[in-house]
Amino acid sequence: MSDFIHWLAPAAIAPAAIAAVQHCYAAQYLTLEQAQATIFPEARRFAAAPVRFSPDQARQIEKLAGAPVRVPEQQVWEARSDSRLLGWFIVDEVYGKHEFITYAVGLNADGSVRQIEVMDYRETYGYEIRNAAWRRQFVGKRHGDSLKLDQDIRNISGATLSCRHIAEGVRRLLALHEVALR
Amino acid sequence: MPETLELRRARPLLGTLVEIAARGSEREHLARAIDAAFAAVSQVHRLMSFHARGSDVSRLNRHAWRTALRVHPWTYAVLEEAQRVARASDGLFDVSVARILVARRLLPAPRGVRVPDRRACYRDIRLLPGFRVRFHRPLWLDLGGIAKGFAVDRAVQRLRSVGIDSALVNAGGDLRCFGPMTQRVHVRDPQAPSRLLPLADLASGAIATSAAYFTRERRAGRDVCAQVDPRGGGGVPAGSVSVAARRCITADAWTKVLLLGGARFLGRARRAGAVARLIG
Repeated sequence: MSDFIHWLAPAAIAPAAIAAVQHCYAAQYLTLEQAQATIFPEARRFAAAPVRFSPDQARQIEKLAGAPVRVPEQQVWEARSDSRLLGWFIVDEVYGKHEFITYAVGLNADGSVRQIEVMDYRETYGYEIRNAAWRRQFVGKRHGDSLKLDQDIRNISGATLSCRHIAEGVRRLLALHEVALR
Repeated sequence: MPETLELRRARPLLGTLVEIAARGSEREHLARAIDAAFAAVSQVHRLMSFHARGSDVSRLNRHAWRTALRVHPWTYAVLEEAQRVARASDGLFDVSVARILVARRLLPAPRGVRVPDRRACYRDIRLLPGFRVRFHRPLWLDLGGIAKGFAVDRAVQRLRSVGIDSALVNAGGDLRCFGPMTQRVHVRDPQAPSRLLPLADLASGAIATSAAYFTRERRAGRDVCAQVDPRGGGGVPAGSVSVAARRCITADAWTKVLLLGGARFLGRARRAGAVARLIG
């Protein structure tokens, strides 16, 4: 019956008996350009339109979203066909206790969410994630850049990390649209 | 022979990160197939969310104790499997467990819904012909312990139906693959989740893992955890359980039984087509 699986571990496993690796799982899914083309395949161009908001706007966003604003600016692009605005493409980052996620959100011209795509996901168990310089090294990274990923570890069963931070981030971006893009 | 490409995408769905990787020779085809597979996962999310007011689960929780409701065939299929596992595990797996999860503040209480009967259990859920469902007592259904596995199965089915012949779908650690490539699967050390242990090489099949390490929280000085024993609402062991089966729904559901019930349920799991490893 078990012809589809080859266990690498005995029936009852004491973790100490197995060669384990201390590892930070990481996956890069989409570059910036790939994420843009995935969310707005019909767009002809993406015009960078970064948003820097005032302390007052930041407070409004926090109030609307019920989520903290950690940086006063947001990477935003206008997705355009030849003649009209299709919507906004926004790159955002969220982090939790053990995870750091870069993701892209497409908003339609009416402000509704079109699609969410994770661009980059990494886990860590160190202090680095709270360190702004450490986080910055991932911003705008492309596939094949100097960050080396361990390709052997790709599939973790039981890896349920919370996506609560993405949900919170999307609420913040919708509030940003309300306050600064509409 | 054309070059083999792999496309890998991830989206937040079902309260977790869902990852789909597909291999083939044509990028456009892979991208469309992955989109279609995510659409299937989204549909499961919409139908089976405990929170969303329009979901089948939410409608059942509001009305099924008064009148039989027709649900989507997918919701019905998940309930049929849930009831099979409930019977085979003497109620250790029970989708009416939401009452306890809400009481422990692991799920928000649904608004405007009648408070469940304390005696309610899976036996009060009646599956009627024509995809209709009726509850014998007010109860709160939560498919969180089984819908992820089902969503993975639907995504796999969707990928196959559009001509993909090698892919892997992973919904927060419940995963299934098919195709000529064997996939190595790791699992976390339940004592130290940052350590990864090699678990298995999977050909075409599914593996799911249940553990308390990410759901355990301390509330009011007590450990609470999303895996609860519906019969006593008691504690949960410290280790983790990984279950392999042909279908991910089977693997997903049986991890819960084995996490709570331990090794004495291994024989019953095997008869249901599930083989397991207990870790820790």
